[in-house]
Amino acid sequence: MRALVVEDEAALRDSLKERLVAAGLTVDVARDGDEGLFAAMEYPLDVAIIDLGLPGLSGLEVIRRLRAARKAYPILILTARDNWQDKVEGLQAGADDYVVKPFQFEELLARLQALLRRAGGWATPELKCGAIVLDTRAQTVAVDGAPVELTTFEYRILEHLMLRAGEVISKAELTERLYDQDFERDSNVIEVMVGRLRRKLDPQDQLHPIETLRGRGYRFALPRDAAS
Amino acid sequence: MHSLSRRLLVSVSLPLALFFGVMMLVLDTGFRDLSRRSVEEVLDRQMVALIAATEPRPDGGYAPAMSNLDPWLETPRSGVYAQIHSQQHEWRSPSSAGLKIDFGKPLQQGQRNLAYSMVGYDRVAIESRGIQFEGSPQNTNVLTFTVAVSLGPFEEQLWRFRQQLVGWFIGLMLALLVTLAALLHWVLGPARRLEREIHAVEEGRSERLGGGYPRELAGVARNLNALLAGERKRVARYRDTLGNLAHSLKTPLAVMRSSLHGAGAETVSAEIDRMSGIIEHQLKRAAASGGALFGQAPVDVAQVAGELRGTLVRVYASKDLVIELAIAPGTQFIGDRGDLTELVGNLLDNACKWCRSRVRLAASADAAADPRERLTLTVQDDGPGIPAEDRPRVLQRGARVDEKVPGHGLGLAMVQDTVELYGGRLEIDTSPLGGARISLRLPGR
Repeated sequence: MRALVVEDEAALRDSLKERLVAAGLTVDVARDGDEGLFAAMEYPLDVAIIDLGLPGLSGLEVIRRLRAARKAYPILILTARDNWQDKVEGLQAGADDYVVKPFQFEELLARLQALLRRAGGWATPELKCGAIVLDTRAQTVAVDGAPVELTTFEYRILEHLMLRAGEVISKAELTERLYDQDFERDSNVIEVMVGRLRRKLDPQDQLHPIETLRGRGYRFALPRDAAS
Repeated sequence: MHSLSRRLLVSVSLPLALFFGVMMLVLDTGFRDLSRRSVEEVLDRQMVALIAATEPRPDGGYAPAMSNLDPWLETPRSGVYAQIHSQQHEWRSPSSAGLKIDFGKPLQQGQRNLAYSMVGYDRVAIESRGIQFEGSPQNTNVLTFTVAVSLGPFEEQLWRFRQQLVGWFIGLMLALLVTLAALLHWVLGPARRLEREIHAVEEGRSERLGGGYPRELAGVARNLNALLAGERKRVARYRDTLGNLAHSLKTPLAVMRSSLHGAGAETVSAEIDRMSGIIEHQLKRAAASGGALFGQAPVDVAQVAGELRGTLVRVYASKDLVIELAIAPGTQFIGDRGDLTELVGNLLDNACKWCRSRVRLAASADAAADPRERLTLTVQDDGPGIPAEDRPRVLQRGARVDEKVPGHGLGLAMVQDTVELYGGRLEIDTSPLGGARISLRLPGR
């Protein structure tokens, strides 16, 4: 999952990036409204965190322009002004949720994950597809009730595929959203990771949870549970 | 006496009444004088005619020759009476037959007397003269001629005159006052328009006063407009400053919190919570205006509620809840839009946090209620509710009845503060839905 943090306070920006990366996200940062708008327009994002009190272009204006440009990914507002008029304006401009400063990082993360889930069409923090259950809060995976040990990177690939279960996701997109900007990109790594995921999730080769569509990418093939 | 035109009317009608009063007195005195003189003239004429007609009679007395007698003296109760008195004899005119008239005492030669007396219910003027005919022995035969004339016709005339005088003067005065009132209405027209426009601005139907005022009022209107604009700008700037202050105080707190690690982090985090709570509370208090800004339009409750519902439904998207709005059409809050948004936002937010699936906001206005309590806002949910013993406590700043859902106490205490600023009321009880029901009474219509 790739997130953009637009925040003018350097210390807060750096610490947010550090903790979001630790939570398994790929994070881009921007220092003001103009830089933020550029990044939000150009990068393939899954979510954006935008401070309302930005120097230059205001946070509200950035959100309006993103929505006008048909950028549909969820946007979370950071605001120091805890009043409803601002929240209403923010959500009317196109944001999806808000967090009031000073926030607990855990709360911000929970809201972020909820937004990502909702964007993928999931209502609950547990993603269930047939026998495979992924818990976004605990970051654990179980097959038929038995926990499966995954590396961080394997988990991130699976989460990405399951959040958008049924959709085709290209190798390039996975690479972009799971690596940092300046990371050396190598699509072979993705192939290797997906191969390992298949073996761990489906040792008997019966479930076939991840399809490979030649030249187009991957698709999580198990149907979503109706309840979630 | 709080109306200029009434003051003017009163201050003009007082001297007017005084003037007419004095005029009536002067005219009345003149007319009475005139009428007294004409009474005396009639008396004199009757006296001279009586004396001229009088001659001695064989029995030694004196009497007027009947043929020369004034017809008034022959007709009984005609209002003109006469008496001729001598030492041996006394003659009375036939008109006085059956009447008891006090003609006065006999007089000496050359004496004259004028007196007023009553005959029955009739006032009369009585003139007497003492006369000695030529050729009579000295002091032997002095006659006293007395003539009495009724004042009735004169008094009647006087009364008629007075009635006419009063009638005319009252009519004239009324006409003058009506003319004056009409003139005042015209002259004070612009002042009334000013009042009307200020009222419109007060009720928020208009933003500023119009132009085209006469020279004397143009300055007032211009300065009022400048004041209104300045006040609005000042409040906007004030709130902006408070917002910036919140931003610059709370961003460092956010930095501090985000860099907390290891031992003691919990304690520091709790202190950061407290600090940010205090900042939030005080800045919100300062920003709450607690009244309609002059020239501010009443706020449409349905619109504010609709916007907040849109916001909260998205924020609580993972909670599958329904927010029902039951707002009487045209219900308005008289006060600041930001204040209403805070009040309803906090109440709905609390309800959304606590409810299982249903939140209901109702609003209506009661024109008969106290002006500060005309708008009733009710927010209820189907959550656990607030136990009666906790109700006083949740209104205290920072109190949290249930620590599991943050922000409950602070929000409700803030609502309470703002409601008090407006002179309204807040009540907590149990909703038919099963949860808490918070009712606010606020200025509105």
